Order: sequence, then structure tokens, then C-alpha cells
Amino acid sequence: MPQPIISLEGIHKYYGEVEPRLHVLKGIHLDVTQGEFVSIMGTSGSGKSTLLNLLGCLDVPTEGSYLLGGKDVSQQSDDELSRIRNEDIGFIFQSFQLIPQLTVLENVQVPLLYGESSIREKEEHCRSILDSVGLSHRLSHRPSQLSGGECQRVAIARSLVNDPLILLADEPTGNLDSKTGQEVLELMDSLHGEGRTIIMITHDQEVALRAQRQVRIHDGLVIEETS
Amino acid sequence: MISRKKKELLRMGLQSLLGYPMRTVLTMLGVVFGVGSVIAMLALGAGAEKELLQEIGRLGIQNIIINSVEPEQPENNSSSSSSRRGWINYYGLKFKDHRQIVETIPGIERVLPVHLSKKKAWNGSRWIESTLFAVEPDYFEVFGLEIASGRALSPQDEEDLARVCVVRSGLLQELGIYEDPVGYVLTIEDQKFTIVGVLSEDRFQGYAQKALVADARSSEIYVPYQTVLKRQGTRSFSGSAGSWEATDVELNQIVVEVEDLDQVILTSRTIENLLSRNHPEKDYEMIVPLEVLAQRRKTQQVFNIALVAIASISLLVGGIGIANIMLATVTERTREIGVRRALGAQKRHIIAQFLTETTTISILGGVLGIFLGFALVQILVIFTGWTAVITPISILVALTISVAVGITSGIYPARRAAALDPISALRHQ
Repeated sequence: MPQPIISLEGIHKYYGEVEPRLHVLKGIHLDVTQGEFVSIMGTSGSGKSTLLNLLGCLDVPTEGSYLLGGKDVSQQSDDELSRIRNEDIGFIFQSFQLIPQLTVLENVQVPLLYGESSIREKEEHCRSILDSVGLSHRLSHRPSQLSGGECQRVAIARSLVNDPLILLADEPTGNLDSKTGQEVLELMDSLHGEGRTIIMITHDQEVALRAQRQVRIHDGLVIEETS
Repeated sequence: MISRKKKELLRMGLQSLLGYPMRTVLTMLGVVFGVGSVIAMLALGAGAEKELLQEIGRLGIQNIIINSVEPEQPENNSSSSSSRRGWINYYGLKFKDHRQIVETIPGIERVLPVHLSKKKAWNGSRWIESTLFAVEPDYFEVFGLEIASGRALSPQDEEDLARVCVVRSGLLQELGIYEDPVGYVLTIEDQKFTIVGVLSEDRFQGYAQKALVADARSSEIYVPYQTVLKRQGTRSFSGSAGSWEATDVELNQIVVEVEDLDQVILTSRTIENLLSRNHPEKDYEMIVPLEVLAQRRKTQQVFNIALVAIASISLLVGGIGIANIMLATVTERTREIGVRRALGAQKRHIIAQFLTETTTISILGGVLGIFLGFALVQILVIFTGWTAVITPISILVALTISVAVGITSGIYPARRAAALDPISALRHQ
């Protein structure tokens, strides 16, 4: 059995400083191996967004350990977490989260600003990624000039620019019509086909079934895993 | 050398500014006006100081000037004078004073006596009221009076009691003398004087004019001291409708040049002691340019500080404007900050981005402000005739202040932006 790229052990997350604290995640165990496409499903308030924040190193667990690529990232400093988000994680958001005053190419280059490599060195790389998501003709457009589907493809291109260990997609089709949603899912399928590890959070059963493994969360616990 | 990474971060910061050009320009305006007014105020201050130096410097900082002053007449005098056919007004510095200064005061380079009288100067049928300055030849050198054509008065003129004079071009114009004035003969009262030199058109102004009792129209006539004293005496008459008045002032002015600059104040005190014994009625005044300069400078400095303080208020308001807009920007761009944090920006990157923006705004504002300052100074100089000097130091001061304004006004918004929680920032609507 290959070494898991993500390993969550007894993850608990509490919110608030004073008792009674809000207990959101109540002991999550989850392993994801290299190249897997996992969907995490759950109703509103089930804790799936909190789990996504922990997986994306935007937050740290109150208890438990999180190994990412074999390294414990559950108790890192803010700067170290920033570095991990920059190098190891590619975010794809429901509402795309592009920076409005920047062009398509510049938006894709944003993660490079905060990493080791320079924008100039990676200029060709950025262009080829945008080409691979079918946006080579939109390089100097601003997000307001693009359709929803195109915006999400820019966001996907941006998530790939630092060649991360995992791609984290939060309801990637939530803001898209079904046809465009399908196109985005096809793009994700092809990324999975290339060997990328993808974790997708969704409440949509149909979308979740695109993944090779489905994890259902309820009330802060993993209640069901199917593949 | 800035690293490539820093250059990229800088470029990205500038792009954000370009994304909102109107806001950037409006935010900048506060600094533009602030720096502009600081430059203008500093220039006016420096100009006033320069003028002061020129004005009082003309008097010579090693000189002490003593002028005769007509003492105030008691009230009943006017009624008594009307009952008399005439009287002599006798006051002011005496030859004795001059002699005593020369003989008793140590450390003196030279002492120049000056006698003044109001005389009518005629050219044919044209005449003007002019001031006759009976001076020794050194007078020209002591007060830096330059000869434009002809020559200055000479010791020989004194010896010969020559009827020669040196005039200003203002007088020539008023008397309608347009050809070469050297050699021209003027009639002063009833005596004929030959013009031997014309002074360059560099008149005494402001304080110096007052101190030297020069008139504003530059119609002074300089004649040899001995000529006036020996040929005309020191008494002057004026009369009308059957009554006459005479004034007898032996010396209107004594100019003392002190050898050593450090001794000027001390010498002035010694002379003051001497004169106060000779003149209990205090019919003289003493002008020590060095002292006046120090006093005026002090006043000017206070004034300069006040001017710059007032101008700085507008700069402060400009800084508050930047901070205010940046705080609003942080709120407006909360999501962007969240996205950048999610994509790997550390807190210092966010701080750097906002500081880049505020510093760029203020530096650009500062540069534009310098141009505005230049323009303001030009306008002020044209419309008011004041002297203004823009010094390199003032430009440096303005630029430094604007950078400081940019950084200080950016720190709080930048820290607030960096302190945002990435998760809630991403959810911000």
C-alpha cells in the first residue's frame, strides 16, 4: 500500500475560548493517497468547510495530527503555514476568488509572488497552463470580462502554477450552470488522469460521484466511505 | 540592489494603484498640496532671510551708524513760535562727538562724518527737491556704492573744496538730463556743481534706506564733505510768507567702522556711553546692523517655523487622508487579502504591499508637490514681488517628509490588513 499523501489522525476542532466551546470536528480519521480523487460530502453545518480549512492549512486542529506529504503540519507557525499553502496546496474556490484588478495571466502568477521562483522564470509555464485550460486567448483580460466557467478555469490554472501536492476544490461547480459545471468537472477529471491528487468538497451527490472515492461527514465525524 | 522578487512585489503593489487611478490621484492630492505649501513656505522664509541679509548687509555688519534725530518739541512751542519772526532749531550730533569718538574709542578703523541737507537742484528751469549728502570719499567704499560712469569723490576734491558731485540716475531722469551726465553742471540752490560720477542703479531698500536716511526716489546728491561745510555751513533755512525757520544740525550721521567684528557690540556700548553724556536729550539714534541682523533673524526664524508648521498641517491632513483611504481600501479588499493569504502570502507580504501603495502615493504626491511648490513660488513672486529662494535642502526635506507620511499613514492599515484571518477574509462579501 502506498504511503498516504494526507493522513488525518483524531482531528478535533473547537471554536471559541470559553466553555461551552463549539465542537465542530470530533475525531476525524482520513487518509488520502497520491493520485486519488476524493470527494467530501456533507450537509450544511456538518463540518466539511472546517475540514477543508484544516486540509488547506488555513487553520490548525485543536487536537490530532495532520501529516501532509509525510510532514506534520498541525502545529506550524503562521509563516510556515503560508509557505505550505503556497508550495503544496492548490485552492479552487466556489466563487473563483480572482483579483479583479489583475489580468488573467497576472492572477495565475499571484502564487509565484510569494514563493521561491520568480514570475519571469515561470512566465512560459503560466502561459502553457492557461493554454492547457483553453484560455490562451484571454491572457490580458480581466476577470470581469470573463464568463463564470472561464473564471473557474483561471482559478484552476492558478492552483496548478506551483505544482502542488494536492488540489483542494471547494464546491467548484457551485456557482456555475450545469453545462459549464460539467466542463469544469471534465477538466478536473483530466487533471486526475494526469496523476494529480484532488480533494473536492461538495453537497451535490452527482458531483461527488465524479470522484473515485466519496467520504460523507455528519456532525463532525466521517460516517461513510464509498469508492 | 533590489532583488527580482522585491521588484515583482513592488510591481504588483503598483498594479493595485493603477487598478483604481481616480482614487489614487485623489488620495495623492493631500500630499501634493501639503508638500507644495511646505516648499512655498520654506522658499518664502529663505527669500525673506536673503532679502534681510542683503538689506542689512548693505549697511556693513562691522559698521555702527549714528543718526541725528530731531527731539520732540514741547506742546507750547508751536504757539510761541508763531509769536516770533523766526528761530533756530539746533539739535543732533556735533563735531565734538565725531572728534571724541576718533580720539577716545579704541579699535576703530574709520569714522565718517555725514552732513545732510534738503536742497533744490536745478537743471535750467526744471528742479527737484533732493538730499545733499556731504560725505568723505570713503563713504562710497564703506557702503559699497558702485560708480556706473565717471568717478567717485576723491580726497583731492576735499582739499580743493571742489564743487563736484556724484548723483544717481533717478535724479538725472527727473531733471531731464539724457546725454552723458559726466561733466554736466547742476545748480544746487545758488551754487553750480559739476557731475563727476553717476552711481549704478542699485538703490538702498527697506531698512538700509531708513538707516542711511536715503530717499525712496534715489535723488541723492553726494558732494565732498569739506565743500559743504566750508562753503555753505551747517545751517539751513526755510521760510514762507514772511516767517523763516532755520535748522542747524552739525552732523546728521556718523558712521563708525570697527576693526574687529567681535568688538562691534562692545564698541557700540562704549560709543553709546559717550554720546549719552553729551546728549542728555537723546537727539540721536544708534543703529548697529549686526545687532539688527541678529534680532531680525530671530524674528524671521520664528516666523519661518510658524509658516512651515502651518504648511505641515496640510501635510498631516494629507497623511490622514491616505490612512483613511487605505483603511477603507483594506475593508474593500478584504477578500483579495484573504485570497493572497490562501495562495501563500505571509503577513509581511501583505504589510509590504500596502506600504508600497501608500509610500508610492506619497512619493509621487511629494514629487508633484515639489512642482506645485515651484509654481506657487513663481505665482507669489510675480504677484507680490517678494523674494523667494527654493533651496535643495527644502526639496530634500519635502521628499523625506512625504516618504515619512507615506510610511506612517500606511502602517496602521497595513497591519490591520495583515492581521485579518484568511478564512473570514475569504468569506467577506
